[in-house]
Amino acid sequence: MIKLLSYLIGNGVVTSRDICPPLEGGVRGLPALTDSSCAGSGCSACADVCPTSAIKVLSVDEAGSITLDLGMCIGCGLCVDICPSGTIVNDLSTKIATTSREALILSNEAQLVSTISGGDAQQHKIRPDRLFGKSVAARVVSTGCSGCDLELGAAGNPIFDIERFGVHIVASPRFADVLLVTGPVARGMQDALKSCYEAMSDPRKIIAIGTCAISGGVHRGGYAEGNGVTDLIVTSVFIPGCPPHPWSIVHGVLVAMGRAEPRIYQRRKVEMPSAVRTEATQRKALPGA
Amino acid sequence: MNLSPRIVPLDSLPRELKSAVQPHGEWRLGLLTSLDGSQLITLLLQPVTGEIQLWESPIEGNRYHSLTDFGIPQAHWFERGLADLFGLFPEGHPRLKHLLMHDQYPVNFHPLRKTPLSPEENPFSTRRFPFLEVSGEGVFELPVGPIHAGVIEPGHFRFSCFGETILNLEIMLGWVHRGVEKRMTEVPWQRARFVAEAAAGDTVIANALAHSIVVESLLEVEVPRRAQLVRTIALELERLAMHIIDVGGLATDIGLLGIAASMSRLRGKALGMGERLTGTRFMKAFVQPGGVRKADEAALSFIGKGVQELRKDVPPAIDMLFGVQAARERMSVGKVSHSLAVEFGFVGILGRGSGVEYDARTVFPHGAYPQLAPKPVIEQNGDIRSRGKIRAGEISSSLDVIAAALDELTDGPICADLPRNLPADKFSCAIVEAFRGELIHLACTDKNGAFHRYAIKDPSFNNWTAISIAIRNNLIADFPLCNKSMSLSYSGNDL
Repeated sequence: MIKLLSYLIGNGVVTSRDICPPLEGGVRGLPALTDSSCAGSGCSACADVCPTSAIKVLSVDEAGSITLDLGMCIGCGLCVDICPSGTIVNDLSTKIATTSREALILSNEAQLVSTISGGDAQQHKIRPDRLFGKSVAARVVSTGCSGCDLELGAAGNPIFDIERFGVHIVASPRFADVLLVTGPVARGMQDALKSCYEAMSDPRKIIAIGTCAISGGVHRGGYAEGNGVTDLIVTSVFIPGCPPHPWSIVHGVLVAMGRAEPRIYQRRKVEMPSAVRTEATQRKALPGA
Repeated sequence: MNLSPRIVPLDSLPRELKSAVQPHGEWRLGLLTSLDGSQLITLLLQPVTGEIQLWESPIEGNRYHSLTDFGIPQAHWFERGLADLFGLFPEGHPRLKHLLMHDQYPVNFHPLRKTPLSPEENPFSTRRFPFLEVSGEGVFELPVGPIHAGVIEPGHFRFSCFGETILNLEIMLGWVHRGVEKRMTEVPWQRARFVAEAAAGDTVIANALAHSIVVESLLEVEVPRRAQLVRTIALELERLAMHIIDVGGLATDIGLLGIAASMSRLRGKALGMGERLTGTRFMKAFVQPGGVRKADEAALSFIGKGVQELRKDVPPAIDMLFGVQAARERMSVGKVSHSLAVEFGFVGILGRGSGVEYDARTVFPHGAYPQLAPKPVIEQNGDIRSRGKIRAGEISSSLDVIAAALDELTDGPICADLPRNLPADKFSCAIVEAFRGELIHLACTDKNGAFHRYAIKDPSFNNWTAISIAIRNNLIADFPLCNKSMSLSYSGNDL
């Protein structure tokens, strides 16, 4: 016991004082868009290399423009490496959680940019509610590859120490305020997730951790229907990444508590290509039914 | 490694397979699968000489005589997977149940089967999972999961208990079945590596490496030495980080929270090294067919320094764990005997903890192995402590391997150029020692050079049976610790 104490004291306090600091240079965050318009003349290099089709080329005329859906992005960084015009850059911020699915869709389309920057950027900010301002009990439902679970576990370690913000991971949905969902929620876990959600009392919030939970990521559109939690239950906070950095998870939970501002991407495309469904999706019939 | 299958008629398959895997442990059953439901594919591995054989046994209809029933227990989990994915049913299997897909799926839906089955051909009328019932006065059932109390993956455990003692544990998996193997064949091969990395989020490098080896041998591309060494460093960093947190997990479940907190801090260091090298903590999108994406000198010297720090910092924490009397007593249960480990083909830490001397790093070439392979760490007791000791031993041997690889690094290219197209109608496989044990990727291309079938066998696929064996007649309170000592992957099994 004395040995352990002296070992622990010898190591000092390792908990980070900075909250959600940016990543160090050379580390890969998610991509972001700059003011520069695309290289034009038919450049679709980024869309061609994107493994999850998160990038769509809107127009290939002289200006050229794209949309980048961070909710489908797995952060491989290939687009950043290949972009010839400096339009797509590496974003070192760890404060990347948003409060709407649409807010994750960026665009460098000239018209949209002018509407947002010409209008009032503030008006797009969502006023945080303070439902769980002081503390929050969180239940985790894991449905994926466990990468996000490990980063969530790391958020609880002495370095990030999510508990100091009043966040407690609890063992039952009965006394949970928020539900943290990781993974694409394929068929196998859909019923379990729904009954877990139903066991929670109001007010309650869902936080989607990671690209799979937001959109299904690399699994999207497969026969197992792992298209994310956002199609199944109304989701309040979206934390993109594959997996998100522990600081981003901390940021997302603080956003849900109303204690941090959600990320407002300036190059946001306002319209969502397909409406986010709020009710449980009807299962498609698989062959063999 | 490229392979060409030898045709083994279905009638003689049981006999030939049995004589190959016996007497004990001469050959291992690496994979038992199919391509599209009209054949059985058997991959056999020689765990000493490194020989590999691939057998193909065409099937008429969708029934075959169970190999498990023929006295080959290594086949029992594979046969359940074949039934779910291909609609191929083993006759005489002692406990044929669904493994990957349960009643959320139509009973006659088999995603990897080419021609759909008619209902008469399917022996199942439901996908419900029948648990083994243990009867007798005072025996009760304890259901746990699929959602667990902690932050871990989902699975359902059904304990049949008498008082505090577990009489039987039955495991129902498949909750995180995401259709990974099918997805591997749906995307262009250049994008398949990102799907492979999502097979198990804690085994990113091992999966990326196995996939890259499969593609490189199909394309007959030589990987530059510098890339091989950097891949080895990355694989060992992954092992290091996961072994550290798994030892920390033992401390958590014993209640030694100071040690557990220290281990998660130390794991952060290992992840930080990986982050500097590759750009992300889990080293995603780094290993690619042909080589690696980057390898800058500053990151490599940072790793060199990190290795020295961890050599100093990790052993005291581990020694404290194994030095506590209470911890030693808690870790004396959960035994897996050597004979069962051989019979069921347990791999990795689990096998080596029961005296099975098999480490893919010393046998099958991948990365800079077998030249840089450390001597396998072997324990004989087969209990929780043995498995913990092996992790401790491998933490230090991984640090040695990283140091040796750093020493050998010279300048040179880090990625070879790849041809655009995969060759048609070829088989290729890769065997990699992931931190949990033997990971196998097997690919087969079609006549257009696309993946026709891509099979992934996670080490946990072999090892899940072990927890049921080890926990029998032990206390229910010992289950979490025993489970932690095996560190089984749900997503790797379910895919």
